[in-house]
Amino acid sequence: MKYLKTPISEEDIANLEVGDVVSISGYIYTGRDAVLPKIVKHAEDGTLADVNVDLQGQVIFHTAVSLAGVGPTSSNKLEIESSFGPLSRHGIKMHLGKGAIKPETVKELAENNAVFAVIPPVTALLGSQTSDIEVVCYPELGMEALHKIKVENYQAIIAAAQGKSIYDK
Amino acid sequence: MKREIIEKVANTLVRAGSTFREDQKEAYRKAISTENNVHSCWVMQQVLENALVAEKSHGPLCDDTGIPHLFIEVGKNRALTGQLMNEIKEGVREGLRRLPGRPMAIKGDDYARIDQSGGLDEDSGALAPSPFLIREVEDDNLLRLTVLMLGGGPAIRGITQRVFHKHSVQTVIDEIVNRAVPAVSQLGCSPCTLVIGIGRSQFEATSLMMEAMAKGDYNVQSEFERIITERVNESNTGALGLGGKYSVLATFAKIGPQRASGVRIVALRPCCCFEPRRASVDL
Repeated sequence: MKYLKTPISEEDIANLEVGDVVSISGYIYTGRDAVLPKIVKHAEDGTLADVNVDLQGQVIFHTAVSLAGVGPTSSNKLEIESSFGPLSRHGIKMHLGKGAIKPETVKELAENNAVFAVIPPVTALLGSQTSDIEVVCYPELGMEALHKIKVENYQAIIAAAQGKSIYDK
Repeated sequence: MKREIIEKVANTLVRAGSTFREDQKEAYRKAISTENNVHSCWVMQQVLENALVAEKSHGPLCDDTGIPHLFIEVGKNRALTGQLMNEIKEGVREGLRRLPGRPMAIKGDDYARIDQSGGLDEDSGALAPSPFLIREVEDDNLLRLTVLMLGGGPAIRGITQRVFHKHSVQTVIDEIVNRAVPAVSQLGCSPCTLVIGIGRSQFEATSLMMEAMAKGDYNVQSEFERIITERVNESNTGALGLGGKYSVLATFAKIGPQRASGVRIVALRPCCCFEPRRASVDL
């Protein structure tokens, strides 16, 4: 088990390999299909500060946040996977979700010293490891708004790092 | 409205969304004890531990708590009245609020519901259940409701389509396996339970698939079901796609009456690692 605390350093990410089991603690962002294209646009326009977002060393967890809890949605949905490259270029170090991603996405992660980690959809377990939930921007999207949450010991497997993928056959 | 019926239905929905049945737990234990891939083994241990925690807290197994689907069995001495259907729907509403279900009812007119521009209803109970599916049963005095909670991932990967069978069961099995392997691989939340209905129309095949989902048992596998499970598991997809021999824990299939024709309609749903999320109650 490798222990990571947000914001994650460049060195910590560079030391991760495919298949490593990691424990993640600290504040992380959550977002999925509806909000990620908007965050990408802010990143590319240089307006992240306008929506109170700082991506440096951060983790983005592909989940909704609702009364029912949190749990990963498929990261290979078009709007989510297309955010990997731009968000990594603007500071995101770890994309946290599930599902196989494309080879070109694996390459983009490596070029930006970022990784993709897979987290089991264990909502009941994650409930006791999640606190301090707040909406950061786009509250009109409800459970799909960009949230910031505090997590303690989220366990995940590194699925793509350094140009390699756990899904390579 | 009868409070007793509403209460029973609400409790049944909470049980469906929060509890693994004993045969389901046993299927996981068997898979964990024989899986050689350490990553897949770890994932299945987490899924089983999650189920034990959810059962204890009566909370959701997954944050996608699913759309309630209602399967009713009625014996000839019992009646499903409009009043009873309303009480069942009220029980569903209460159960969704108690679980709590993810508030994901889309507001607005036809167009707004399609493009989601009307926003979401904040009330978990606003999520409408699917239409009732009703089957007659041999037990004359039975009136049983099964609540199934169907998540979005399997709905994305499910396929209902014809198979030209060429008068060969093997052809039908081959086509099911050909469709199931990529569906399971792309689902993300494996190990799956494959659920299959084979009928004469899209409606009938899907109804049979729902019946298979409502009645299937991990300890009772026909040769047809076992062959499909074994062949899909040869894909080595494993839990969460991380590799390993348990891409599929079991297959539940229901084969209905068939048409004098060269075509069979096959409905296939790759249920996620928590499904079938179901619970039954006698009313």
